[in-house]
Amino acid sequence: MTDYAIVAEDLTYYYGDLTAVDHINFQVAEGEILGFLGPNGAGKTTTVNMLTGQMKPKGGRAVLMGMDVAKNIERVQGNIGVCFETTNLYEQMTAIENLNLFARLFGVKPFDASEFLSRVGLEGRGKDKVDTYSKGMKQRLMVARSLVNKPRILFLDEPTAGLDPTSSEAIREVILKEKERGATVFLTTHDMMEADKLSDRVAFMNQGKIVALDTPLNLKRQYGKRALKVKVSTESGALEDREIDLDTPDTPAKVQELFAREQVVTVHSEEATLEDIFINITGRGLTG
Amino acid sequence: MNWRIIGTLVSKDLSLFFRKKGILALTILGLVFYLIIYFVMPGTVNENLEIGVYAPGLPPVLQHLPEEGLEISIVDSEDVLKERVSDGTYIVGMSLPSDFIEMLNAGQKPDIHLYFTADAPEEIKIAMETLVNDFAYMLTGQALTVEVSEEVLGQDLLGTPIPPRDRLRPLLAIFIIFMEILGLANLITEEVERRTAQALLVTPATVIDMFTAKSIAGIGLAFVQAVLFMAIVGGMNINPVIILVVLFIGAALATGLSFLISSLAKDFMSVLAWSVPVLVVLIVPSLGVMIPGAITGWVKVIPSYYLVDTVYRVANYGSGWGDVWTSLLILLGYTLVIVGIGILVLRRKLQ
Repeated sequence: MTDYAIVAEDLTYYYGDLTAVDHINFQVAEGEILGFLGPNGAGKTTTVNMLTGQMKPKGGRAVLMGMDVAKNIERVQGNIGVCFETTNLYEQMTAIENLNLFARLFGVKPFDASEFLSRVGLEGRGKDKVDTYSKGMKQRLMVARSLVNKPRILFLDEPTAGLDPTSSEAIREVILKEKERGATVFLTTHDMMEADKLSDRVAFMNQGKIVALDTPLNLKRQYGKRALKVKVSTESGALEDREIDLDTPDTPAKVQELFAREQVVTVHSEEATLEDIFINITGRGLTG
Repeated sequence: MNWRIIGTLVSKDLSLFFRKKGILALTILGLVFYLIIYFVMPGTVNENLEIGVYAPGLPPVLQHLPEEGLEISIVDSEDVLKERVSDGTYIVGMSLPSDFIEMLNAGQKPDIHLYFTADAPEEIKIAMETLVNDFAYMLTGQALTVEVSEEVLGQDLLGTPIPPRDRLRPLLAIFIIFMEILGLANLITEEVERRTAQALLVTPATVIDMFTAKSIAGIGLAFVQAVLFMAIVGGMNINPVIILVVLFIGAALATGLSFLISSLAKDFMSVLAWSVPVLVVLIVPSLGVMIPGAITGWVKVIPSYYLVDTVYRVANYGSGWGDVWTSLLILLGYTLVIVGIGILVLRRKLQ
């Protein structure tokens, strides 16, 4: 049990008659990045709220670092960091004051706010009030705030949503550094590319249930279709597309035949995206 | 409960409160404004006694009675006399029967009715006895034996005239305390609506830590201002411990009301919309102090009545624990209930 940073055992939550999280079970190993994917209303936020002690499960239990969250909420919360999707900083305070406040709440001593600001590329702006920050800067500060206690588990809810490429890249670097440090990262996101690039494993959540949980590669192998995308030049000089399925017994023969008969201009391999796989499994898109 | 965390949260709340320039300006200007109002109000009571007399069939000789400090006005009926005493035009009204002289001449005792305002001083009784004797001597050349009946219209506070500024003191003190409802409710509403409370609650800080911190900040702000005001205006000269206790309970009551209002409000405008009617209701009992007889017994259902009543009686009449303990107990009861309900509803909103 203690080898896992996060264990969800039959975790359940319902609002009246609506079951938001329906008896889900999963484990996240220490130092692992889990991408938690699903469309709006799938139950992702409710799951995160139960895992972080913000909501008490109606059924089952959440175990973090070997501790039942409901029974050890203060100890658990002292060892996790949470970055929310919606900005919730004290905007009349400076960035340094925001970080110092949370460091004091966690009892972190000594604490150097500038170290955390430089990790997210906000060095030199620490004494500015947060209400003068752009959306990307605020989000980076949110990430920095979630790190002040050097958390063993980091929960990130859509950390790069709507951000410029520079801010997004800065946050991705922080996530990878946290993994290197040994932290477990629970990453909720809509961004399939991001999940694919960062996650060791991804979980697909749909209608309150986990419908798939594996490494991106295994999911692609299991549910995706691989193909060769080829552009050929015709006799009139026009370009035409050809596609050869890579996972059939006659694939080698088809490839050989294509190169023998046609004038091949470009060849690209194509594999299924996580979005394709989600649609394949659930029959609906991730952004729905 | 973790006192290190509570201390951090209190420091954060006070820091945020003082960064809100509007609320800060309102607080400081309010305090200055209330002090100005207090000091521009008359600090003494008018020593000239204006007396209304209803004396049918008597010559206007009454108007020339040689009593220093007395101003005598003749009225046309006993009803008018009572009305003018009630509305404070005359501090005393005297009604003589129409057969006054005939009764005197026949050796009988005529009845003289005296009407007093609720807070007429004790000295007036003595002055009225002198007046009646002078009057009788002037008419008959000898001292009279007359039956005088006295009636106090309203609560009997004879002998203790209160200058207008000191009547105003409890009203201003509770204004200071209850204005903090606005500031604290706004602070809490922002914390909930901007979801900073959510960020705090995924740290080792608990909901109880948060409420304790908010209560300390809220009570502290209201209490310190009210004590400062009362100290400057001399309201702490008599029984300061009772004044401190009642102001503290009043500040806690204001904090409980802030919790209730912030559980209903979504932004500053809705905080304002909820706070104003609450403030108006809370201020009603002080009108009874400003204008004796202006309000009726139902104001005792308003918790602030017990705050105003205690401050007024202790600061102006030197009442002690034995006189005000029931008011303090009732005020404390109201406060505990309101704070309890406030925490319950706000906790629901937070979670």
